[in-house]
Amino acid sequence: MMERGNRICDIMVCAMARMIQDGDKVFHGVSSHMPMIAVLLAKELHAPHAVHLNIPGGVDPSPRKLKKYTSTGSELLDGARSYFPLMEVFDLSMRGGLDMAFLSGVQFDLRGNVNASVIGNYQKPKVRLPGGAGSAVLIPTAKRAVIWRTKHDKRTFVNQVDFITTKGNVDRIVTPLCIFKMENGELVLDTIHETSSLKEVQDNTGFPVKYSRIAITPSPAKNELSVLKRIDPGDFRNIEF
Amino acid sequence: MHLRLQAYGMPYRLPVMRRSRVQAGKGKFMSKIISMQEAAALVSDGTVLGIGGNVLHRAPMAFIRELVRQRKSNLKLVKTAGAMDVDMLCLGECVTSVDAGFISYETEFSLAMHYRKAVENGRVKGNEHACYTVISALRAASYGIGFMAVKGLTVSDLIEENDYFTRIQDPFTNEMVTVVKAIRPDVAVIHVQEADEEGNARITGPLFEDVLLSRAAKSVILTAEHIVPGSLFSSGAKKADIPHFLVGGVVHAAKGAAPCSCAGNYDIDTKGIGTFKEIKDQEGLAVYLSAYEKADRRGWGGKNDGKR
Repeated sequence: MMERGNRICDIMVCAMARMIQDGDKVFHGVSSHMPMIAVLLAKELHAPHAVHLNIPGGVDPSPRKLKKYTSTGSELLDGARSYFPLMEVFDLSMRGGLDMAFLSGVQFDLRGNVNASVIGNYQKPKVRLPGGAGSAVLIPTAKRAVIWRTKHDKRTFVNQVDFITTKGNVDRIVTPLCIFKMENGELVLDTIHETSSLKEVQDNTGFPVKYSRIAITPSPAKNELSVLKRIDPGDFRNIEF
Repeated sequence: MHLRLQAYGMPYRLPVMRRSRVQAGKGKFMSKIISMQEAAALVSDGTVLGIGGNVLHRAPMAFIRELVRQRKSNLKLVKTAGAMDVDMLCLGECVTSVDAGFISYETEFSLAMHYRKAVENGRVKGNEHACYTVISALRAASYGIGFMAVKGLTVSDLIEENDYFTRIQDPFTNEMVTVVKAIRPDVAVIHVQEADEEGNARITGPLFEDVLLSRAAKSVILTAEHIVPGSLFSSGAKKADIPHFLVGGVVHAAKGAAPCSCAGNYDIDTKGIGTFKEIKDQEGLAVYLSAYEKADRRGWGGKNDGKR
């Protein structure tokens, strides 16, 4: 039926890449190897005119060598013709010019609230999380915010987040099991990865999973996988698994 | 001895250093070169300290280590996205609050556990911003105004939980807009690749928010990989990013960002970061800091100059 043995990281990165349309101005931030590689992949294939924006500020870089420890290093200036750093990316988004932003978080609920701040009380947190970085201003202002998270369990997908860091234009949430989409203000199952099942998604989600049909996330194509091998020879797309 | 500058009582008016490496009469300016110990001594307890760089890139680590050695306390840290710098100052118990959008090492080195524990046990106040609201707060300071409107921050518990955010009515459209209070650091410390003795500085690679930070702060301390002749900037096509008149002191600090990266000079030292992440207590931190002490203080100039 489909190629056996596709890895979850490849399924996720290819799915994220396909969400980028040709010409989109697209941003990824810190701790974001998977989106960074997805943007580079999209630009190699179906979206050569997508504009790759990032924290160091190289517009459309062609990094000679990605780094395992960072997605904000100076290699994102390699080959770039112009400089457009983080603060200007934010400004662009505020005035309505950013098409797409890849962001993450730690807790999500049915209504699309995102928590990247604390578990427990904000003033006396049980767990102090790293913080939402750009999320609180980019999720409401980017035309489409795509969230990815490499964990999918009942502590991640909860009935009600502990703290609302932000809420806004969440379009899709990509997880190791499935992809959710926002529809009429609620998270709805979009596709399930070939490596998972409806039952597994339901068992690991803290709210009733809504869906109108069951579809499988398209598998990575051969050419996608071969481009991935070339642009990410260190396999950094897999470091969170 | 090196702490005496603090006793002057005006820690934020950084003195223009009078020791010039250029012999008297030759240079038109006074050298601002000082030693690492003197520079750190300019940061008094309670200082609002802006830190340059971004996560593990161009963080002024040698300066941070010296702050911990000098046992600073009650520092109020400001940074868009911090990692080892903030984590180390938290472990060293130098910090009372952190205003930032994100505090964590990136994927490979994961969480900033000392910062996290310090906030969880109430020793440090974690003032969460969006990275952009730190930028907006610094812009307000650099524009000389008390607050800045931030378009994007609309639906967020951060607004109610923090006294530095509030909503006001736009007087022109009558729509509500979130505003952030200005942050004016007393001191900004920025590590650069090149600086001259007068305090002009040029950054190679990503600038991050450092140019803005230098404008927003009351005074700037530079640590520099290389001290270069100012003629390099006057004759070159790329001028200095930070002009001398904003700068109070310059420290020659080769490897001053290590074990973090410094574009064009060196990448991270994985072992140096890994070793720090293993530290559990003050003793471990003291041992770690002493291993860097000689290198951190070897820059020429200032009172301790015996090398040039």
